[in-house]
Amino acid sequence: MLNITRREFLKAASKLALLMGLGTGAAPRIVDALEKLASSNPPVLWLQGQSCSGCSISLLNTEYPGPLQLLTRYIALMAHQTLSTATGATFMDVIEKSINRGGYILVVEGAMPVGLPNACRVGHETITEQVARAARSAQAVIAVGACASFGGIPAAENNPTGAVSVPDFLKQKAIATGLIRVPGCPAHPDWIVGTIVHKLKFGNPELDDLGRPKMFYSRLLHDQCPRFAEYEREHFATSFGENGCLFYLGCQGPVTHADCTVRLWNSGANTCINANAPCIGCAREGFAKDASFPFYLTPASSGRGGK
Amino acid sequence: MAQTIGIDPVTRIEGHLAVRLRIESNQVMEAYCSGEMFRGFELILKNRDPMDAQQITQRICGVCPVSHGIASTLAQEAAYKVIPPRNGKLLRNLILGANYIQSHLIHFYHLSALDFIDIKAVTQYNGKDPALSELKAWVQSQLSSNSLYPVAPFLPRYESQYAEDPELNITAVKHYLDALEMRRLAHEMGALFAGKLPHVATLVPGGVTERVTPRKIAAYGEMLQKLRVFVDNAYLEDVLAVAQAFPEYFQAGKGCGNFLSYGAFSEAEGNTDHFLPTGVIIGDGPSRSFNPSGITEDVTFSWYKAAAVLNPATGVTAPVDPGQKESAYSWLKAPRYEGQVMEVGPLARILIAYKQNSGRHHQVKTLVDGVLKKLGAKAENLVSVLGRHATRAIECKLVADRCAEWLAELKPDEPAVTAVAIPEEASGVGLTEASRGALGHWIQIKNRKIANYQCVVPTTWNCSPRDASGKPGAVEQALVGTRIKNPENPIEATRVIRSFDPCIACAVH
Repeated sequence: MLNITRREFLKAASKLALLMGLGTGAAPRIVDALEKLASSNPPVLWLQGQSCSGCSISLLNTEYPGPLQLLTRYIALMAHQTLSTATGATFMDVIEKSINRGGYILVVEGAMPVGLPNACRVGHETITEQVARAARSAQAVIAVGACASFGGIPAAENNPTGAVSVPDFLKQKAIATGLIRVPGCPAHPDWIVGTIVHKLKFGNPELDDLGRPKMFYSRLLHDQCPRFAEYEREHFATSFGENGCLFYLGCQGPVTHADCTVRLWNSGANTCINANAPCIGCAREGFAKDASFPFYLTPASSGRGGK
Repeated sequence: MAQTIGIDPVTRIEGHLAVRLRIESNQVMEAYCSGEMFRGFELILKNRDPMDAQQITQRICGVCPVSHGIASTLAQEAAYKVIPPRNGKLLRNLILGANYIQSHLIHFYHLSALDFIDIKAVTQYNGKDPALSELKAWVQSQLSSNSLYPVAPFLPRYESQYAEDPELNITAVKHYLDALEMRRLAHEMGALFAGKLPHVATLVPGGVTERVTPRKIAAYGEMLQKLRVFVDNAYLEDVLAVAQAFPEYFQAGKGCGNFLSYGAFSEAEGNTDHFLPTGVIIGDGPSRSFNPSGITEDVTFSWYKAAAVLNPATGVTAPVDPGQKESAYSWLKAPRYEGQVMEVGPLARILIAYKQNSGRHHQVKTLVDGVLKKLGAKAENLVSVLGRHATRAIECKLVADRCAEWLAELKPDEPAVTAVAIPEEASGVGLTEASRGALGHWIQIKNRKIANYQCVVPTTWNCSPRDASGKPGAVEQALVGTRIKNPENPIEATRVIRSFDPCIACAVH
């Protein structure tokens, strides 16, 4: 591995500029280009808290760019617990040195167990301490998925670990690094990749008041529903497997901001509502939190909050 | 000279696993597996609508959500006394089958293969394949860059003995890249009936909400065909090639020698007649029948309040802060079957089918014997690191091939779901097999709400800590005896651990 200083770079660039007949005045631009090549893509550090790795698996479902193109052409994925070849102490070295150098985008998948920090540890360190350290020297934090964005199931009613979202955790720690929420259970690969690429190539995407990129989360699912006409005509499904609007089966499209119905999942293969499955609101702030707000309303179920 | 080394975290598995090894004269004498992440799903499920369970429990694991969804619907169907229509049953098998293929591919290529294959060998590539050429150019530019960690996340790694045959390395790297597309395709195939993956939208007690249409049957069939070609020509062949390059791993990582499978891919009414069989093997014994009442969980060395050894039907989850129970070392409980440590997973399922060797399981014996012959190995060699990889690949083929038959049985426009009614009080058990092993959900319903919910999950079995009698878990036992050439780079231990395909988010939940 070459370790090139800026001085050596300038020298090389001047030589190259002369070689290309550009004169020494072109050297700075060539320095930029060479440095870009040499230091490669912007670093990304991916940490997992109380997660199921579902957002990582969803990320691997990215179609364009594919996962390999993402890793080789867009980002330098310094560490990822599910993908890194590095293991054990070697893996922790990567984390440590990356944090020491700083300047990366920190992606966090999973919730933060602030009530029971020992409920999640990596390399002898609680994930809360690790995320706090990593967030302090990050250029930005992206909370990927329901758990990192809003707490998700680990933070649902009756949870024993005092789990909170990454933004709430960073607020508690008074860490002011810029933050983007990419909710969803899991987050759609386009939402993850689109947000990262926007951030890297075009700066911060426009965010709503919850810190979600407007390009994915500005509209209610219900307003973009392929069954909106059925809703208007009051053609409602009354049991599973039926056609019609799924509102009376508990569909949370009217309270969920996401574009699943137009974006579709798994490279366009399908989406929940098209498969006659009511939206369970996995991208909304309150997803799964309230035990008395069930996912489904059927004649058999116990209803919502007894109403 | 004794020393203790830690591998924390064990990466390229699902979740948060730390392993501690006591080594003497380069040999593992004792091993301790610590599950390091707890969320408390069983407590979160309490007092919820029972039909939330198949959605909540899928979020236990993003790698095998389908199995949790199916275990939960089976437990609820047992409680509600309903049986899904034939289409519903077939769709479940097809969604689960798609996820098996996805999970087995990611496990071999993206999680395990980098323990054997030398990714740097791509710099020696001189062919014209565009993907390999691009990877080569990227690796070369990275290696000559001033990046903090060039070629991340593929490097750094344990510096050790990797495969030396350039053809094996290049082929495997090429297939690593292809498998990224193949596992994505498997998810696309499953999503045709699942709505989306990971985390299926369409699984409900009573069946599957998605309808069967000729277009979906055709689409699934075409995707399946591509996957079967890859499994037959790449996956199986690559596993054989790795096995030939590392024959010593037919001796390493034997483990407890007891095997358990609940059975998966039911083909008859109710949760019966499983394509992957149910059974129990203790030591050298034959495959015998399995009885759920033989399952218990012990928390002596787990971070839960001391409790009696309980069957999950009446199981308790009462976490304590690890600082308050220093004798314990894991968030996993210690499940036992009739008091015995059990290994679960593809090896268990294939060995049980191999020993049963009856009816449809004849083909398993034929396939396994064919592979063993090619490798010059014996049936007893299957209980090893390479045996786990080989049986996983064989199973992937069996399931992919069978999916074509389930697909052919679907009846367009016939129902795939039936209505259910949640009783005031009921209980049920849902047993199935996740790609990494035996999975059970136990539900108790009171006042039409969940009164108790317990999950015993594949990696709870495999990565279990010690029990009250001091018996180590299956992976802990498999690690004992492993030769570690360089304790700074304990790659031999990680090869043993990864052969079990651990999933810690599942195991603790």
